[in-house]
Amino acid sequence: MKIPYFPGCTLYNKARGLDNSTRASLAALGVELAELSRWTCCGTVFPLARDNYMGMVAAARILAGVAGEGEDRLLTVCSFCYNVLKRVNYEMQHNPEARQKLNDYLEENYTGEIQVVHPLEICKEDVGFNAIQAKTSRNLKGLKVACYYGCMLVRPALEMGFDDPENPTVMEELVAALGAEVVEYPHKTTCCGSYQVLHENDLVRQRVRDILNSAAAKGAEAIITSCPLCQFNLDWLQGKILEQDAGFRQIPVLYFTQLLGVALELPRESLGLEQHYVDPRPLLLGA
Amino acid sequence: MAVELSNKMSREIIERIKEISGQDPYLCMQCGTCSAGCTGREVMELLPRQVMRLLQLGDARALHCRSIWVCSTCLLCTARCPRGIDLARLMEALRVINLRSGGEVLVAEKIPVELLTRVPQMALTSGFRKLSA
Repeated sequence: MKIPYFPGCTLYNKARGLDNSTRASLAALGVELAELSRWTCCGTVFPLARDNYMGMVAAARILAGVAGEGEDRLLTVCSFCYNVLKRVNYEMQHNPEARQKLNDYLEENYTGEIQVVHPLEICKEDVGFNAIQAKTSRNLKGLKVACYYGCMLVRPALEMGFDDPENPTVMEELVAALGAEVVEYPHKTTCCGSYQVLHENDLVRQRVRDILNSAAAKGAEAIITSCPLCQFNLDWLQGKILEQDAGFRQIPVLYFTQLLGVALELPRESLGLEQHYVDPRPLLLGA
Repeated sequence: MAVELSNKMSREIIERIKEISGQDPYLCMQCGTCSAGCTGREVMELLPRQVMRLLQLGDARALHCRSIWVCSTCLLCTARCPRGIDLARLMEALRVINLRSGGEVLVAEKIPVELLTRVPQMALTSGFRKLSA
């Protein structure tokens, strides 16, 4: 199975580990990602001002380009890319004014026919968790994993159509298929503070601390996510929290595709586990 | 809450907020669900519920408060509002009215270099889109 793939800016720079582990783990499951021959920034955030069509142009161009290639699906893994591509696609389907303005500007005739998909959906619906379980060679039995969705994967529920918005479980189902133990905790869809790390650093630090402490209190040894910004906030800020609180217990924060890659025993160089601030290798590889 | 005349928003601004957001703040019944879940509530001087109330009163403090810049557009308020108000769109309308007149809070030069060299690219693109003119 071959699916067009949009990596996005961060996966080509700060989140190479997410890019590499997504390509490698899906390839091991029989899904080949064919990177788009030309792509631009997706726009990162969906514009909430109803008169801001410029904020939708980039995503609309990417989607129209994929449709022009005769494809019917587009896969992306970064939560921000997934959110903005899926929401702009929804506008192209349901908002005649947005559709006309964007098509007039781009000189396209796109009506939202592409389906934007996430690797978690591919794992569940195309590959299947039973098949994944059968392909894992490394048993993660006993490893306690907390799944962190953040905000962009699940909200708003109508447009995203991704699992249950208040209590998504697809990542937990994947963790269970890998043989690890799922840790339930109350903060899995609360926001980490996102881009406010640039502007309200103290606020984000407090949010991160609440999320991590909540997962740790339930016994989590690792946290998994699909968002490079959540990963960064939850990972990098632990050093800052430790400076203020010597008793703070650090937890590795990795991409779900990295955990999948470990379970599939993919070559270490394809996983990027060395790129994190809190090193997950002692826990996962016994290194 | 006493509203001073100097804090009154013009009819025109109120209409622009409604037009840009597509939302009606008068639907708000002040239940506080938005504020209970808000990501930024700990550093907001006005909670989302209070911003809604000021909008209902036509009080310009809604347009000039720190809360609108602390909102991380995580949409929890929008998802949970029992009156179906998309609060995130109202917050965005209040921001863009400021941004379109040159008012901004995220200035590139003020981002610490330690952070700038480490932060994922998406944080910069999203932060500048939401908080810079």
